[in-house]
Amino acid sequence: MQVKLKIFRYNPEKDKKPHYETYKVEAEPTDRVLDLLEYVKGYIDGTLSFRRSCAHGVCGSDAMRINGVNYLACKVLVKDIKSSKITIEPMLGLSVIKDLIVDMEPFFDHFRSMMPYLVNDETPPGTERLQSPEERERFDDTTKCILCAACTTSCPSYWANDKYVGPAAIVNAHRFIFDSRDRAAAERLNILNDQFGVYRCHTIFNCTIACPREIQVTTAIGEIKKAIATGSLD
Amino acid sequence: MATNTNQVQLNQAAAPEGFESWAWKWMRYSGLLLIPLAWGHVLIQDILVGVHAIDLDYVALRWASLGWRVYDFLLLAFAFAHGVNGLRQVLNDYIRSDTTRKRVTWLLFILWLVLSLIGAAAIVGGVRAP
Repeated sequence: MQVKLKIFRYNPEKDKKPHYETYKVEAEPTDRVLDLLEYVKGYIDGTLSFRRSCAHGVCGSDAMRINGVNYLACKVLVKDIKSSKITIEPMLGLSVIKDLIVDMEPFFDHFRSMMPYLVNDETPPGTERLQSPEERERFDDTTKCILCAACTTSCPSYWANDKYVGPAAIVNAHRFIFDSRDRAAAERLNILNDQFGVYRCHTIFNCTIACPREIQVTTAIGEIKKAIATGSLD
Repeated sequence: MATNTNQVQLNQAAAPEGFESWAWKWMRYSGLLLIPLAWGHVLIQDILVGVHAIDLDYVALRWASLGWRVYDFLLLAFAFAHGVNGLRQVLNDYIRSDTTRKRVTWLLFILWLVLSLIGAAAIVGGVRAP
């Protein structure tokens, strides 16, 4: 089948403003959108820029807007788009560096503000810090985040105001807040108890739809709101 | 469910408090109260009585009962404060300047206070039938 790719293009060294370019590509229904981008870059226009690394939905490099919805280009098949016209744009809410590449630093700044590491100053036991399967299960869902930014850049609250820490940062805070080995839950909850913390989430659910790892993002944010309101992690 | 040992530290630090968590709880509790208050109001005034039948005589008759005055006062207090806080949340989505955000919050508070006082004065003072 022939697919018409309409791709957002912007080279800050040459272009005054962004524009779209259209490419006609022969594709199999089982091709991934990333394959089409690779074809355009390899055979039609080598200046096309986009991030990709593992190409198997694990590294989170190739999140982008495909027909208006955030996906990983390596996880979307042409047949799943149900249209022969595919519009590919960079994620919203982050400034464009070139073509489909956005500046991820503001995203990572919010991530870092959540102290995304284990905090425990107690004397460690001789072996590992033991954790029951039930305690591990409590935060299992939020361990799956690959920091692709698909959730944060699908959030209208984040589009409106990038001071909001965004769903991905909250998911990563959740991963440690509910970890029985961690001791900084109160500190993280205090950080999130702010108008640019969890309260900018209006439960729109775009993040949950966008997450390529199928993390229940809105539920995780809701659990943190509940923990702040009740002072309980149960 | 297994006890989360992280809870120990959380208990020591107490649940985080502040204006935003207070406002979040307010929206939930006032929202719950607004379900019977607002629907009751719509059912009685707009469906059973009908807006065209509402005049000063009707209001005077209704407010002759202390119970209806309390009902209307609760509706005014909860609905308006709920709405104004909702408006504050929406505006906070878009206001990037800290100073502007503080000014807008105060402005909304004054708007809420003035209109609530006018409404409260009407409910307490009652109406004189022509």
